[in-house]
Amino acid sequence: MFQWDIKGFVRLCVMGSVLAVLPIVAWAQWKAKDTEWPSYAADLAGTRYRPLEQINAANFSDLEIAWRIKTDNFGNRPEYKLEGTPLMVNGVVYTTAGSRRAAIALDAVTGELLWVHGEHEGARGGAAPRQLSGRGLAYWSDGKEERILYVTPGYQLICLDAKTGARVPGFGNKGAVDLKLNDDQEILPDLTTGEIGIQSAPVVARDTVIVGAAFREGMTPKSMRNNKGYVRGFDVRTGKRLWIFHTIPKQGEFGYDTWLNGSAEYTGNTGVWTQFTVDEELGLVYLPVESPTNDFYGGHRPGNNLYGESLVCVDLKTGQRKWHYQLVHHPIWDMDISSAPILTDITVDGKPVKAVAQPSKQGFLYVFDRVTGKPVWPFEEKHVEVGTVPGEWYSPTQPIPSKPPAYSRNGVSESDLIDFTPELRERGKAIASKYHLGPVYTPPSESKVDGPLGTLTVGTASGGTNWPGGSYDPETHMVYAFACNACAEPIGLVRAPKEVSDMNYIAGTAGEEVKILRGPGENAGADSPMPPKKRAGSGYVPLNVDGLPLLKPPYGTISAINLDKGEIVWQIAHGETPDVVRNYPALKGMNIPRTGQETYNVGTLVTKTLVIAGDGQITTTSDHPRGAMLRAYDKKTGKEVGAVYMPAPQSGSPMTYMVKGKQYIVVAVSGGAYSGEYIAYSLPSAE
Amino acid sequence: MHAEKIALNRIGFATIGVATIGTLCVGMATRATRVLRAQETAPTSRSVWDGVYTEEQAKRGEELYRKECASCHGDTLVGGGGAAPLTGGAFLSNWNGLTVGDLFDRIRKTMPQGSLGKLSKQQDADILAYLLSFNKFPAGKTELQKQVEFLKEIRFEATKPEAK
Repeated sequence: MFQWDIKGFVRLCVMGSVLAVLPIVAWAQWKAKDTEWPSYAADLAGTRYRPLEQINAANFSDLEIAWRIKTDNFGNRPEYKLEGTPLMVNGVVYTTAGSRRAAIALDAVTGELLWVHGEHEGARGGAAPRQLSGRGLAYWSDGKEERILYVTPGYQLICLDAKTGARVPGFGNKGAVDLKLNDDQEILPDLTTGEIGIQSAPVVARDTVIVGAAFREGMTPKSMRNNKGYVRGFDVRTGKRLWIFHTIPKQGEFGYDTWLNGSAEYTGNTGVWTQFTVDEELGLVYLPVESPTNDFYGGHRPGNNLYGESLVCVDLKTGQRKWHYQLVHHPIWDMDISSAPILTDITVDGKPVKAVAQPSKQGFLYVFDRVTGKPVWPFEEKHVEVGTVPGEWYSPTQPIPSKPPAYSRNGVSESDLIDFTPELRERGKAIASKYHLGPVYTPPSESKVDGPLGTLTVGTASGGTNWPGGSYDPETHMVYAFACNACAEPIGLVRAPKEVSDMNYIAGTAGEEVKILRGPGENAGADSPMPPKKRAGSGYVPLNVDGLPLLKPPYGTISAINLDKGEIVWQIAHGETPDVVRNYPALKGMNIPRTGQETYNVGTLVTKTLVIAGDGQITTTSDHPRGAMLRAYDKKTGKEVGAVYMPAPQSGSPMTYMVKGKQYIVVAVSGGAYSGEYIAYSLPSAE
Repeated sequence: MHAEKIALNRIGFATIGVATIGTLCVGMATRATRVLRAQETAPTSRSVWDGVYTEEQAKRGEELYRKECASCHGDTLVGGGGAAPLTGGAFLSNWNGLTVGDLFDRIRKTMPQGSLGKLSKQQDADILAYLLSFNKFPAGKTELQKQVEFLKEIRFEATKPEAK
């Protein structure tokens, strides 16, 4: 059935949808086939795995484009940051698309558009902290009815009939739940501009929809006070709120005393902006929680700050906490737990363990017994450097897993600097000498013109594994994870002028004007006054040498980690050597192995035999015109076995499915001059 | 703009595109490795190394950049939190092989994000001049023009060509 919107992007047909008779069963028993992709990360266990093998090492390079869809017109302007991973159930692909964050349905074989649904939210959408198309949506069925759920930029949970794209009238208020309401806090200053939203996909487990929260980028907040990012569960049939979990405990709740001086009252953020993972059988939900207000300065929130940067396990029915583990005490490095935890049933020392593995920005894979919360291999509380930023409260120790070893670089020493030639090495050292260096958990520094300008970190804000997360092969018990190995981040703190922020310190560089930084998808305010002239004496130095990364290769890697043993089995550089490196005059003629790329948003897909991931940057080589390659690796060895051309970098993680005897791989590409597009690849039909 | 040119080769064929929604390309079976570049760049003689803006223009552009762009892309153009960097390897790779006009188009179409359409073509050209200046492309005697058709004749080359 087709429902075309005639006037443009007004929502489709509120008519016609008949509310199905609600069966009173405990939990819909519908189950997806393993040829389908029913949830953002393939399944609720966060595996990004499908046991398909029609596309394999022998034929990967023969892939052709089966269909493609530009997302330019799903919104009032094109989008260049398409991050979605589509779903596929019953021959229909569902995804979010465009600057409107429209929900769309496509024929899985032809790509033909079946329906589109967009919400016009006006000023509320325009003020949203996380705009653009988001990462995707959720699918639910009880075997009869099929529903699609997603969250708009303006933070409404929308429930659609998967067959028509029309709102389901019996869900919430005519198919929508206003997530700014009924949140155990008043979203300030008002419902239109109150800062809270989300860009990730909701998940549905049993009959509960789980939704988190996200905020503006947290380096330079205007205030130590902010809205809080609680987690809620809703009934997928009615939209009724079933439970809430306070990621910052309220007075009287466990963990409140980890916020000294009553700082739990006013501190905000601390949401779950990435994907949830659920064990439906055990009835447990795993929450990866982000940093509290101000990513890099915690002087207004002394204490360990539970559940900031913690993995929390709650009951799926009640939202009650079962266990938690704080991965970073008193977070001041922006090490948000940034991706879906992965459920793994492994065998350690001959004993079966129901485990959960958490990839991280800091390159540790944290592995727990997912029932008890006990680390599978012990973590040691190691002493870390205590900093000197006035007013800051430091945790003297941080937990370091004994196994597996870190799979990406998480500290900077001189030996990590560019060293292609002695001259480049000297120039790299000259840049690094302006910063404070050190291993993982070296604290931020107060920025001074005479040095240090800040702490030079890696494995923090955009290091290691970010939102795309890892993949997992349940047959071989291997985790595969991309990591940025060279995403250097200078963390300097400057005193915040009163008119900029009420915090003592925010991120900045000495000598530069202090201002509020925003992320894309935030409303960059019009009519702001002209800023003061740049002050003299800025000590800023770019963190690259003629465009070459300051840290040495590999810039980006994929690691295969055996979870029965806690060991890295292989690690490869992922991504073509960047043009700036390949074409750099002084490096001509040198034999530089593939370097990989310093991108932070590459996701992996695992099939029966392959690990698949695309390049995160554009390159132009003798093997391919300007573009990026989607690559396949033998999952046993990491050897590249095939590659296919994409017109732009992979910007959303790939997924796969099988329909009518044919396997497809769909990937979102965008960036630079290329606006968002989903591309579906399949093998040529037999001659 | 942003027309997509897709090569249909011998194997490929196009079914009828359901073009109701913009630029949908439905049912394309095109050999992936033979898809032409999306933005064709006409062969031109000038590149960003030929002094295509003036210092004065870059100064105007810097003022504008600091007011309109720096809140997301940062004072030092490094981006952050997902805002694309406007300097360094990733930026250069994004535009290498295209034209200054392609970059101008992207700015016109999407920036400033919160107040699209706020800036004039002249202002965007000035900001572009500042980006070129920040990235160490040399200044010259004539200003960068504001007509995209002229800007499309200036190649964006990340690496300085060797002297002839």
